[in-house]
Amino acid sequence: MRAAETDRLSFARRFARHKGAVAGAVVLVLLTLAALAAPLVEAALGVDATAVNILDTYAAPSAAHPLGTDDLGRDVLVRLLYGGQVSLAVGLAGALAAALIGTAIGVPAGYIGGRLDATLMRLTDGVIALPLLPLLIVLAAADPTKLGIPPDIARSPALDLGRIVFIIALIGWTTAARLSRGATLALKQREFVAAAVALGAGPGRIMTRHILPNVVSPVIVAATLSIGNVILLESALSFLGLGIQPPLPSWGNMLTNALETVWAAPALAFWPGFLILLTVVSVNMVGDGLQDALDPRREAGWRV
Amino acid sequence: MVIFRFGLLLATLLFMFVMPVQAKTLTIGITQFPHTLHPTIDSMAATSYIMGLARRPITAYDADWTLVCLLCTELPTLENGRAKVVEVPKDVGDGTGRGIAVTYTLPAEAAWGDGTPITTADVVFTWEVGRHPQVGISAAELYRRILDITVVDDKTFTLVMDRVGFTYNSIGDFGLLPAHIEGPAFAENPAAYRSRTAYDRAPETKGLWFGPYRVTEVSQGAQVVLERNPAWWGDAPAFDKIIVKAVENTAALEANLLAGGVDMIPGELGLAVDQVIAFEKRHGSRFAITYKPSLYYEHLEVPLDAPMFADVRVRRALLHAIDRQLIVDKLFGGKLTVATTKVSPLDWVHHDGLAPLPFDPAKARQLLDEAGWTPGPDGIRRNAEGQALAFPLQTTAGNRTRERVQQVLQAQWRDVGVDAQIRNEPARVLFGETLNKRRFTGAVMFAWISSPENVPRTTQHCEEIPTTANAWTGQNYGAYCDPAMDTLIDAIEVELDRDKRAALWLELQEKMAADVPDLPLFFRSEAYILPPWLKGLRPTGHLNPSTLWVETWSVDGR
Amino acid sequence: MGGLAARVLRRLGQSVLVLLVMSFVIYGLIGLMPGDPIDLMIATLPNITPDDIARLRSLHGLDEPIWLRWWQWLTSALGGDLGNSRLYGAPVESVIAGPLLRSLMLIAASLVIALAIALPIGILAALRPRGVFDTVANLIAFVGLSMPTFWLGIMLIMVFAVTFGWLPAGGVPQSGAGVAETLRHMALPVATLAVATIGQYTRYMRAAMIESLNQDYVRTALAKGAGRWRVVLVHALRNAMIPVVTVLALDFGMLFSGALITETVFAWPGMGKLIFDAVMGNDYALALAALLLATAVTLLGNALADVAYGWLDPRIGRGSKAP
Repeated sequence: MRAAETDRLSFARRFARHKGAVAGAVVLVLLTLAALAAPLVEAALGVDATAVNILDTYAAPSAAHPLGTDDLGRDVLVRLLYGGQVSLAVGLAGALAAALIGTAIGVPAGYIGGRLDATLMRLTDGVIALPLLPLLIVLAAADPTKLGIPPDIARSPALDLGRIVFIIALIGWTTAARLSRGATLALKQREFVAAAVALGAGPGRIMTRHILPNVVSPVIVAATLSIGNVILLESALSFLGLGIQPPLPSWGNMLTNALETVWAAPALAFWPGFLILLTVVSVNMVGDGLQDALDPRREAGWRV
Repeated sequence: MVIFRFGLLLATLLFMFVMPVQAKTLTIGITQFPHTLHPTIDSMAATSYIMGLARRPITAYDADWTLVCLLCTELPTLENGRAKVVEVPKDVGDGTGRGIAVTYTLPAEAAWGDGTPITTADVVFTWEVGRHPQVGISAAELYRRILDITVVDDKTFTLVMDRVGFTYNSIGDFGLLPAHIEGPAFAENPAAYRSRTAYDRAPETKGLWFGPYRVTEVSQGAQVVLERNPAWWGDAPAFDKIIVKAVENTAALEANLLAGGVDMIPGELGLAVDQVIAFEKRHGSRFAITYKPSLYYEHLEVPLDAPMFADVRVRRALLHAIDRQLIVDKLFGGKLTVATTKVSPLDWVHHDGLAPLPFDPAKARQLLDEAGWTPGPDGIRRNAEGQALAFPLQTTAGNRTRERVQQVLQAQWRDVGVDAQIRNEPARVLFGETLNKRRFTGAVMFAWISSPENVPRTTQHCEEIPTTANAWTGQNYGAYCDPAMDTLIDAIEVELDRDKRAALWLELQEKMAADVPDLPLFFRSEAYILPPWLKGLRPTGHLNPSTLWVETWSVDGR
Repeated sequence: MGGLAARVLRRLGQSVLVLLVMSFVIYGLIGLMPGDPIDLMIATLPNITPDDIARLRSLHGLDEPIWLRWWQWLTSALGGDLGNSRLYGAPVESVIAGPLLRSLMLIAASLVIALAIALPIGILAALRPRGVFDTVANLIAFVGLSMPTFWLGIMLIMVFAVTFGWLPAGGVPQSGAGVAETLRHMALPVATLAVATIGQYTRYMRAAMIESLNQDYVRTALAKGAGRWRVVLVHALRNAMIPVVTVLALDFGMLFSGALITETVFAWPGMGKLIFDAVMGNDYALALAALLLATAVTLLGNALADVAYGWLDPRIGRGSKAP
């Protein structure tokens, strides 16, 4: 098995050897930068992302609007960039939160076993069984001012975002929990664990130093897969009217909005869909690179 | 040449044989599937659409918005003597001690699908079921207003209504039930009738239906198949079979139409107008598309008891600031009608002399200034106390058409210094809590659907403001209250003379235009996508569906 | 053997407890949703009076506190009576039967197809990471994963139903239709569901397989002279199946909770649509029955997965406590 101490430099070197992962990381960084640069692009083009202009709907790409305008005459490029802020933030935050919580629950459950395992896994089963829809509606209708949040924040779009991340964190950890527990169950029978125990290591140390680094593989896959899922979940939420409220764009609600007029203006659906695809691919490639970098024995490949 | 002629003959023969095959089955695509096929238990539009093929109400409004008899020989009126003002006990109705007795005669040939004649026994049975407290019929009001039914003979009966009102002869809500089939289930246990009704247990029972078609097969959630009813006594309908398919997703419904899975999409339960306009641009040549203005009154409800909206100048300013005609032209291809008040231009009582407030941002700004709202540093107006002219703008979440309109409104209001923040909610929250219990603090966009010559009592009468005292019934969500309006409403309801009533209606509309109890937007249109070979379908524009006249539909004039 | 029986019983007992707790949570959640059907009725029926409201409320039992209504539901459910659906007016079992069967057909078919395609591809991709096959397989998986189901569904309809007319644009086959007709109607929704699932399982299988192929015991088996394919398929695959089985168990519950968006787009009335309508319509009896059924299946799936772990890696389960 892998030694507990990982040379940081060689980690980076191993990651860098994975060309796809590097490309993915670069794309992600570029997407993030582009999204953050949205206000700059907005100023450069001289448009206002929320300015409705129903006289110029569905315009073709031009110098003033590099990607054309949407069904209300707003510039598509700027909306895509602002939308990226929302979708990337929700996707990354949500997936990260879910992965962390899930692993924190799954590894102890698998390692310590017994009653803790039973309790945590039944809790997991319960959360899996929670129906998403009434939960969403209850949360959407809940009045944040009752919790003491001042009305300005309660009305702001940041709260919409927060609500979605909250829901994902609340229910998204179950896959990571089951996966990490399964991996832990397999790992704890290995010789190196027995060796560590014999050497006097306590459960906490064993879990963090020995088990955790080796369960990351399926958890990383789950986390990277979930980023795409989360962005698409936001899209499905706007399908039901519970996602990010208009006029704020997100890739998810831009995609849903474009569906009804997809025959008349396919480009409006193409761009957010393409960016989601790009994000999913990049994130997954980075995830591959992370897995390889964390386990030096993987790179060799295996010829049959 | 011979080959050419032969080919022509062959083509004609094929055409003659193929066309009748096409004429046999009509597939209709709608966006909703009824939860129950019982005609009166709930009030879903899908139910009434399908019922129109297999049943008839006794009276209905037709495509010209006139009241007609569908299941009676003559419409009872005071003029022809079938209706008479009578005395009723003072403790019922409106307390004036006056009611109306209306006499109907069922058509002699009227019979249920199994041949049993439709008789007054069915009428009395329906009334018993309708007013039974444990059955849970939602539209129970009509049944309660009928104080008594006098059976004259097998086909003639007299209803004694508990009050005088000009709608005395419109009993479209009275959905006839077959006593010989439903009777036993009801008699055994009225409270359990809902789960025992043959309409859901055995919908293919012939005796349940008496229209041009009868239901032969129900695939729950997917489709209803209807076939020609041999016991129908009216004109023979053109099709042998009608299949009503439910596809909830409108993009998928469009695809079904293009792929031939359905032949037509009716406006009652079909695509939104802007979707049909886009569809027409791409496929308009393959279909016959009509737009019928309807009674759906799309508007904004604002709380008149809130200081921000109490001033009528503010409400007028909000209307002057939005260019409704532009929205109609650009977002809806000009197919909608800008509304002046909630009375539809197609209604015979419509005041043609009034016009909607014109788009005039300068006037809007002036009115807002006068009302004490001056622009602040960020462009948003503020009053003397420093409060901003900002409020939530709400509508049903997930409705993209409405969201588009919202965003235009928001932008145009911002131009005159009004800050509307979009906060949408799912329909159940909006209607169940926010509107019903008057929790909204800003503008709520939704539609009222009423009927021809509908008196706006529930929406504008002082007594109809929902409060805890009346268990939140009443639809006067805006809390508009003016005794003069109440007097007008009360007067119109009991005015039986048409000309006098028309004058009162003009007065009412002038008052509505002046008082601005809500912010009118437009009247929606219903868009019908029909195959070019289907003739005779007349959209009505109100709640009585076009299927009530399915026997007039024909295939290319045959 | 007594140990096994005891473990099964214990697991069963825990599952029943979860079901009980979840039934209360779900009942409470639905009750917490703002607006009940009577409120909605008020909006559509102008002439309704306060007496009507009170009557309808008590008719549907909505005037009692939530916990009491839950308790009444529980006691009658334990007695075998799951109640009547408020929306459809029929006993809950008869309302669920049809949609359940339809969902099962759809999702079982898509899972089987997805696994049949994804697992071999994942294995083959893992044999040569970052090779040509791997890159192509990954790309296809990513495209499948990042496409929203409603998007894909509409696209498939447009291509196969509208443009080519080979398949119906949705809906269920008419009664009496044969197997061929049913398959034609199922083809597109199954394809839609399968696409995303294939992507997911390919990724899991590949990652797990790569991990597994690098283990010591695999190299040991090779050194002992075992055939390469045998090593791959017998030794490495077993361990690699653990995450796959985990995810499969989680997806198992989907068989019974349906796929709302796919069912809506293809007008295929299944459990997804049923649960949605039941929840939105405050149809407690129907929603509870359907959701608890899905929960029970998920519990079963996770239990089976736990059993499978022991079979896949015999060292698991020999002692469930920490060393």
